[in-house]
Amino acid sequence: MTDAVYVYGIVSADTAPPRDHAGIGDPPAKVQTLKSGDVAALVSPIDARTPLGRKEDLLAHQRLLDAVAADGPVLPLTFGAALTDPDAVVGELLEPNRDDFVRALDELRGRAEYMVTARYVQEAVLGEVLDEHPELAELRDSIAGRPEELTHQDRIRLGEGINAAVSAKREHDTRALADVVRPHVVQAVVREPAHELDAARIAVLAEVDAEEKLTGSLAQVARDWHGRAEIRVRGPLAPYDFVTTVR
Amino acid sequence: MTTAVQPQGGGGGMVDRPSSSSLADVLDTILDKGLVIDAYVRVSLVGIELLTIDARVVVASVDTYLRFAEAVGRLNIEQDKESLPELVGDLNEGGAQHKSKGAVKGALDAAGEKARDALGGDDRERHRERRSRKED
Repeated sequence: MTDAVYVYGIVSADTAPPRDHAGIGDPPAKVQTLKSGDVAALVSPIDARTPLGRKEDLLAHQRLLDAVAADGPVLPLTFGAALTDPDAVVGELLEPNRDDFVRALDELRGRAEYMVTARYVQEAVLGEVLDEHPELAELRDSIAGRPEELTHQDRIRLGEGINAAVSAKREHDTRALADVVRPHVVQAVVREPAHELDAARIAVLAEVDAEEKLTGSLAQVARDWHGRAEIRVRGPLAPYDFVTTVR
Repeated sequence: MTTAVQPQGGGGGMVDRPSSSSLADVLDTILDKGLVIDAYVRVSLVGIELLTIDARVVVASVDTYLRFAEAVGRLNIEQDKESLPELVGDLNEGGAQHKSKGAVKGALDAAGEKARDALGGDDRERHRERRSRKED
């Protein structure tokens, strides 16, 4: 039963739907494009009565958009967008907003998002914190010999102190990493930490041709931080952090 | 894609280039970033139920604090382990000089256990750590 059209994103009309990436649904639906002038929507049919959000659906949505972004500009839609039928996609989404979409796609040509993340190596960063904060090391030692049920408050106090120290490090390291990538990117956005050991999470919009310069600059930091933090770069990705809806 | 996958965890100071996104990567990207369709479309919007997805970790919480406290407690044990070779050296001098590697390893293990015993309940702590560790 297919009674709605799921929309992944907006592309230029000459973009072919990626053949090796299926869409959401079980079994995964075939992805097509619906065109209107210079723009097109990446879509696939879905059953509107089946709730969305299975792991496979989430991965399919992002992997499809990222695959498209590797070859050309795409405006990603937030997960879960569906319209009643193909005519609605063309008549209500593409036609009224065509100029807007064309302008945004032009701006993104040759560019893609890269997600730069750094994660602390726990033992190393905690060692740094204890070295820099003798009072936390003392508190830790005072807890060590005592039974767990008597140290609950102290352990919270200790953890709170460590968290504050790690947060300060994160702020410092995020700024340092942003300074390193900035010369090689068009824009950079700092994302909130998603894990207590995150050292930095920076989404960057970069020229795809400058990718090697970007990763080269990060490799230098990776060497400097070897043993204390691990650096990861994902991309090219669809520009999730750099397209916004202006109402 | 121009992605080159580097060996995971190998070598010094490499930048990791995973070839595709994991679920954790996806969750904080496509659920609250990108264009929101109802800013463009009203009439023909289909409201599809979204399964409850909330994988966001609260970074500063009592849970975090207790995990950190536990982790620095374990750090203490790690540091004790680092000083163990000295202890093993002493044992060797005390007459066991030319024993096989196995014996030295045995001494190491025994001493390691002792260090854990002294600090109490390491197995239980380790179990809890595994349970509370977040998916990456």
